[in-house]
Amino acid sequence: MKPLKNAVETDNLRKVFEIKQGLLRRNAKTVVAVEGISLTVPAGQSVAFIGPNGAGKSTTIKMLTGILKPSSGTASVLGLDPWKQRSKLVHQIGAVFGQRSQLWLHLPPSDSFDLLAEIYGIPKNDYRKRKALLVERFDLGRFLSTPVRKLSLGERMRAEIAASLLHRPQLLLLDEPTIGVDVIARQNLRDLVCEWNREEGVTVFLTSHDTGDIESVADRVIVINHGRVVLDDSLSGVSANTLIEGKPAGLEEIIAHLFNSAASLTMQNCISPS
Amino acid sequence: MWFSKILSYLRLARAYIKLNWSMQMEYRGAFVSQALAMFLNNGTWLAFWMLFFSRFPVIKGWEQADVVTLWAISAAGFGLGNAFCWNLHNLAAMVSRGELDVWMLYPRSLIPHLALGKMSATAIGDLAFGYFIYIVMVRPDLQHFLLFNLLVVAVAVVFIGFNLWRGSLAFYFGQAEVLSEQWFFAMITFSTYPNCLFDGWMKVVLYTLIPAGFVSGLPVEALRDFDFSAAAFTWLGALAVLISGAASFELGLRRYQSGNLLGMRS
Amino acid sequence: MKNSIRQSWAVAKVAARSNLAYIGEVASRTFFLAVILFIFLKLWQATYRESASAVLGGLSLSQMLWYLTVTEAIYMSAPRLAQQIDEDVRSGALAVRLLKPISYPLYCLSSALGERIVRFLANFATGAAVTFCLVGPFDCTPAAPIMLLVTVLLAFVLDGLGHLIIGLWAFWLEDTSGLLLIYTRLSMILGGMLIPMELFPDWLKSFVLFLPFPYLVWGPAHLFVHSDWLQFGQLVGLQSLYILVMLGVVNLIYGWALERISAHGG
Repeated sequence: MKPLKNAVETDNLRKVFEIKQGLLRRNAKTVVAVEGISLTVPAGQSVAFIGPNGAGKSTTIKMLTGILKPSSGTASVLGLDPWKQRSKLVHQIGAVFGQRSQLWLHLPPSDSFDLLAEIYGIPKNDYRKRKALLVERFDLGRFLSTPVRKLSLGERMRAEIAASLLHRPQLLLLDEPTIGVDVIARQNLRDLVCEWNREEGVTVFLTSHDTGDIESVADRVIVINHGRVVLDDSLSGVSANTLIEGKPAGLEEIIAHLFNSAASLTMQNCISPS
Repeated sequence: MWFSKILSYLRLARAYIKLNWSMQMEYRGAFVSQALAMFLNNGTWLAFWMLFFSRFPVIKGWEQADVVTLWAISAAGFGLGNAFCWNLHNLAAMVSRGELDVWMLYPRSLIPHLALGKMSATAIGDLAFGYFIYIVMVRPDLQHFLLFNLLVVAVAVVFIGFNLWRGSLAFYFGQAEVLSEQWFFAMITFSTYPNCLFDGWMKVVLYTLIPAGFVSGLPVEALRDFDFSAAAFTWLGALAVLISGAASFELGLRRYQSGNLLGMRS
Repeated sequence: MKNSIRQSWAVAKVAARSNLAYIGEVASRTFFLAVILFIFLKLWQATYRESASAVLGGLSLSQMLWYLTVTEAIYMSAPRLAQQIDEDVRSGALAVRLLKPISYPLYCLSSALGERIVRFLANFATGAAVTFCLVGPFDCTPAAPIMLLVTVLLAFVLDGLGHLIIGLWAFWLEDTSGLLLIYTRLSMILGGMLIPMELFPDWLKSFVLFLPFPYLVWGPAHLFVHSDWLQFGQLVGLQSLYILVMLGVVNLIYGWALERISAHGG
């Protein structure tokens, strides 16, 4: 496979939902969920993709994974058209959702891994090597044969992330991966994600409300509100270049400000890291 | 003195029921569909009995009308007893999870507060089902209908007392949810099959350990033969179940308050 | 196709393993099974005695009890498939499931199948032990267990598809539990759960044979107590036919559902 330049490219991506109302469902109301998003994410970058609930964040991700069909605009993910080549694309995507486990609660992680290997059709030999590597690097050996319900949340999330990397995805979607995890385990998870991003060049798409996650994992921050991109800058650039009411502000403050008002920030310049 | 006391408890009950009712009405759609689902569920069993009696018209002297009466009285009685006292259904779990503490902060006796705290839409469906099939399928005259009402209340009392029995288990055994649930299933199952099927030692069990005889036996006979002594025995049994239930609950509660239940909430 | 079979086998295996992990929960229901089988014994004992015949609907009393043991084991192992889809759609977990390279209905069906087989075997083993104590053995042919296993497996696939068809309506309806209740109650009554189809009135029997319900319950249970290769062949043929038809229906509805998701987000 030839190396990709860009993991994600979208051009003016737009999604309008039609909500039918009334007794006979005649009065259709349209709601614009995503209003023309154009993004370019180079392969290997890790991006924090954030926004308040209902901002259009999950609609965008659903379009990028081919679950939703955009109303207009185009997108290419890992060189594929998400809604035409969805079955091909899902083989290249790994996903971890902090609130939703892909591991079987009553069985040890090892069993869930075996199942995922079958689901993704990973050849036996390949799988054995890959599993050994992940077990070692994520330090899963101690609890690989303990039922998941008996693991601590930190251990479980480590197993979750390892599980999502079994099939060597090129794009890793992380949704609130550290929610409820204690401080030390949280740092450990962030380090693991960074490591994998550096070494395997997996592109990371992180959605999180935790600025700590964002600061330690992401190279770039994209804030979305009311269906539009309201901030897109490199992580270092965000703090350095953004002023709120004339004063420099921390990431937490900036995000809060953007969530609140969708107001225009006073930006000295906006770096598009493409 | 005692009269004003009873009156004050009745006022308390009214307040609880009013509150719970308006809460159910907040989710009217869910309420109606749950009640209807119970109608349908009970209707399936009735359909089974009609199939059965279409082939075998008489079993041990019981005919189709008797089984319809049985289902009417047990559904209505169960519904009445549980509709407004739904918390008692999960009493064992509440006790072992230490949820009683919240309720003990209220003035007056614990049981009424606890019992009236929650309402059940499915039980209201049962109640409605019982009356519906009695009126539509048995078509009673006025006297039978009045007696039916009297017996429905007695059966409700049996179920409330029985719920106190099995809920109190948790005071004595700690984790008693499984036992309490199995006991409940046994009671419900025996309450919905003709009592005449059982004899010997089973008959004894059904008037003591699993008091389903006061649901599926005596009340049905009372209505069929218009027999006041059977009705009186139903009421006696109901009161016995209720009083012993309340007593075992109060005794257990004393153990609970004295802190003799170590490791309960762990 | 070969790939799908491998995937589905892997999912079913893990689901079965996962259920074995809490087999204790299944064991706690044993008591209920014992109660219901005891009541059935009493009911049918009285029925056989009063109709003064040793054989009803082609079955002896002990065959009847063994028949009901199988039907209860089938009924009590019912999967939570439709509810699962309901939850997936409502909670948004569906979006996560769609990120896996396995068809969603196939995943649901395989996982339900794996779960159900474990639960059926556990229920059947305990039920058989109870029934053996109550009425002793019946003249079981060596082929009977094999016939039971094959037809029960096909019945579970068929029932799983039925659940899928209902569950998939969750994309359009707010709540599918009402539909599910109707479906399960129909399969209970028309499937011959409580009374074998031979004892149905003639008009009902001729009508029911055109529905899939008897092949979910009555078919396998009846074959177990009355093993016959010709009937076995007929049953397997009919079950396969219905499976094919329902597969088509599932595909159709799932296609619509996918269209709806891609436009509305589920």
